[in-house]
Amino acid sequence: MRHEHIEVNSGLMIALVLAVISIGGLVEIVPLYFINDTVEKVDGVRPYTPLELRGRDIYVREGCFLCHSQMIRPFRDEWLRYGHYSLAAESKYDHPFQWGSKRTGPDLARVGNKFSNQWHVQHLVKPTSVVPESIMPNYPWLLDTELDYTDVADRMKALRYTGVPYSLTQAEYEKNVKDFGKVVADQLDISQAKDNLMKQARTFNYDGLPDRVTEMEALVAYLQVLGTMVDFSKYDEGYFANFR
Amino acid sequence: MAHSAAAPAEQYNYDIVRKFTIMAMVWGVLGMSAGLYAASELAWPFLNFDIPQITFGRLRPVHTTLVIFGFGGCALFATSYYVVQRTCQARLPSNVLADFTFYGWNVGVLLGVLSYMAGFSQGKEYAEFEWPLDLAIVAVWVVYFYNFVSVIVRRSQPHIYVANWFYLAFILATAILHIFNNISVPVSLTKSYSMYAGVQDAMTQWWYGHNAVGFFLTAAFLGMMYYFVPKQAGRPVYSYRLSIIHFWALIFLYMWVGAHHLHWTALPDWVSTLSATFSVLLLLPSWGGMINGIMTLSGAWDKLRSDPIMLFLITSMSFYGMSTFEGPLMSLKSVNALSHYTDWTIGHVHSGALGWVALVSFGSFYHLFPRLYDTRIHSTKLIYVHFWLATVGIVLYITSMWVAGIGQGLMLRGFDDYGNLAYSFIETVEFLHKPYVWRAIGGAFFVAGILLMAYNLVMTALDARRERSKLEAKLAAKLART
Amino acid sequence: MFDWLSWFTRLDNSKIFSLLLFFGTFCGIVIYVFGSRRRGRRLESYKHIPFQDDEPADRHDAPAHKATDGDER
Repeated sequence: MRHEHIEVNSGLMIALVLAVISIGGLVEIVPLYFINDTVEKVDGVRPYTPLELRGRDIYVREGCFLCHSQMIRPFRDEWLRYGHYSLAAESKYDHPFQWGSKRTGPDLARVGNKFSNQWHVQHLVKPTSVVPESIMPNYPWLLDTELDYTDVADRMKALRYTGVPYSLTQAEYEKNVKDFGKVVADQLDISQAKDNLMKQARTFNYDGLPDRVTEMEALVAYLQVLGTMVDFSKYDEGYFANFR
Repeated sequence: MAHSAAAPAEQYNYDIVRKFTIMAMVWGVLGMSAGLYAASELAWPFLNFDIPQITFGRLRPVHTTLVIFGFGGCALFATSYYVVQRTCQARLPSNVLADFTFYGWNVGVLLGVLSYMAGFSQGKEYAEFEWPLDLAIVAVWVVYFYNFVSVIVRRSQPHIYVANWFYLAFILATAILHIFNNISVPVSLTKSYSMYAGVQDAMTQWWYGHNAVGFFLTAAFLGMMYYFVPKQAGRPVYSYRLSIIHFWALIFLYMWVGAHHLHWTALPDWVSTLSATFSVLLLLPSWGGMINGIMTLSGAWDKLRSDPIMLFLITSMSFYGMSTFEGPLMSLKSVNALSHYTDWTIGHVHSGALGWVALVSFGSFYHLFPRLYDTRIHSTKLIYVHFWLATVGIVLYITSMWVAGIGQGLMLRGFDDYGNLAYSFIETVEFLHKPYVWRAIGGAFFVAGILLMAYNLVMTALDARRERSKLEAKLAAKLART
Repeated sequence: MFDWLSWFTRLDNSKIFSLLLFFGTFCGIVIYVFGSRRRGRRLESYKHIPFQDDEPADRHDAPAHKATDGDER
């Protein structure tokens, strides 16, 4: 075969180019779905509640991931600064993933429960009021804008289609009770989505405004759950290394 | 018209090339200005002005989309339509279908950036377009592929020239990457969720993300190089045989390397190692391309003294060589541990994007534009000025980002004598201020350069119109006398 | 069904496998391209394609202000 055969035959050239460029992606991506150790076996990771989910949508909307990663690497300085390195399991319900690629601000993978709700609200409205050297923009409109949760059930349904175990049927609900326990399973029930969202907002009042459900409410709810789902005290030091 | 029937302007569809060239300049000016503004927001955060639409998080995708898909995309449409017609000596099959790609692509880019500012984003870098726009892009791309291949099929020249191989690989690869990375489940017209989650989504995204660099910003621009460098130098490319090897090696190797954006993350180690290995190998075909381009000038180096367009083209290949050396270096896990998450990555991208992609486009446009308008460039002196503004801008940009990235990386891993962290995160942010200011200054130089170029090209087009009307007046006068 | 893919994920296997396969192909292409002088000459002849449609008098290279000064060249 001469190279000229390819050079004078556009069909052959297209076919060869397609073959050559397909190999790399196939070898690196497809096995990730079939190798069981890719995502660690670990308890506690659950899909987001309706309120947290809406908070995550706002996180995506504002492009937070362009300055904040959610992926702690296994280094000593990151351990001291942020905590245990991130597991694949901790983002297994994240559509899309928000690992990020740049830290203009600190990593947020384990920011949950490290600061109070009030701190988050004040920080988001005007970051320099709590961290004077911060270069983060102010997000005052989050506190002014009422959260739109009319379509939260639709959002959960779309995610259910991608494989997140939000439940529509009784059988799915019962499976969730078995996998996550009743409290979480109730939160994952799509038919109760709005009630659950309101209930969580009223109970925890993340935005400090008792009579309103703002976008701030949802975003802080999301931030406060980041990295808190896995109880690392239950696992040996070396357990997660087996999956790498 | 005063031209003979065989004038290339009639033999080929130059109209579409002109339109895409102009839009490339429009998006280039807007996109680089948006980048300059975003960079200034990092240096002086008050510039966010508490306006949601222009906060950094929403403006950054506006910048990347405008320069990659707006400027880069239109430059590729323009040059690929020009090169494929001229090297195949055949015309595009249909003016309507060519125009369809023009309006489809540009309306898509415009709606895309407006939608990001409104807060609609898929949340994946360089793939922020929501699903309706993704579908529109697929439609445009299919027609683009048809247009391009039709010219090749209708060629009056037995061989397909090497520049067209690169363009072809770019069109095919971009289609595959775009479709597979954007598969998502819609909630509404403006919101969807990626079909993939977590580690699989990350791998798919960076397979896409790095090959957007590899095929959109490299392979296709190599196609540009393989036509415009020989044409401007007036001599054929250095080695056709080298181009065969480096073409196949490049398109094969690039698809493996995306995972080097995910070193030390929750991605399994075997993928990470594999991608690092291929990233190092990729140095060879990259430099093969650079050598082929630069050595085209061997024996005619004096052109660098007399021809500013050649200066643009050769410098772009030098930056290409530099950034394709830096890339494999940064893909080594030990280096990446320091460089990842820092501004070193941003600097690396821009030494490729400004130094290689933008400079080779500028050089090609300076060659192309007078031919499209059948005239001469308005001012050669301004090309020199543009060249130096651009080069100084790039050097300021990448050196300040080296300082910022390496500096912050070292600070973050610094420990004091007692084993505690030497710096808090916010101390590294304070350190970044000065490099950020210098980066913005470098960016301003670069924007000034492209503004000057826009002026030069507008004046060239006006010159052409004046020449033509003078010629027509003369002709009319002659006709009146007889 | 896809279990065989896991064979490739063990680096001991995949390193050798890919080395043989890809490097072998690469060597084949290099030998083909540079192996024969006659083939080399033939392949190199295709690099003149971009110059086949040159317009007889390419007047675009000379800058406007120079040309009006009179023809120095």
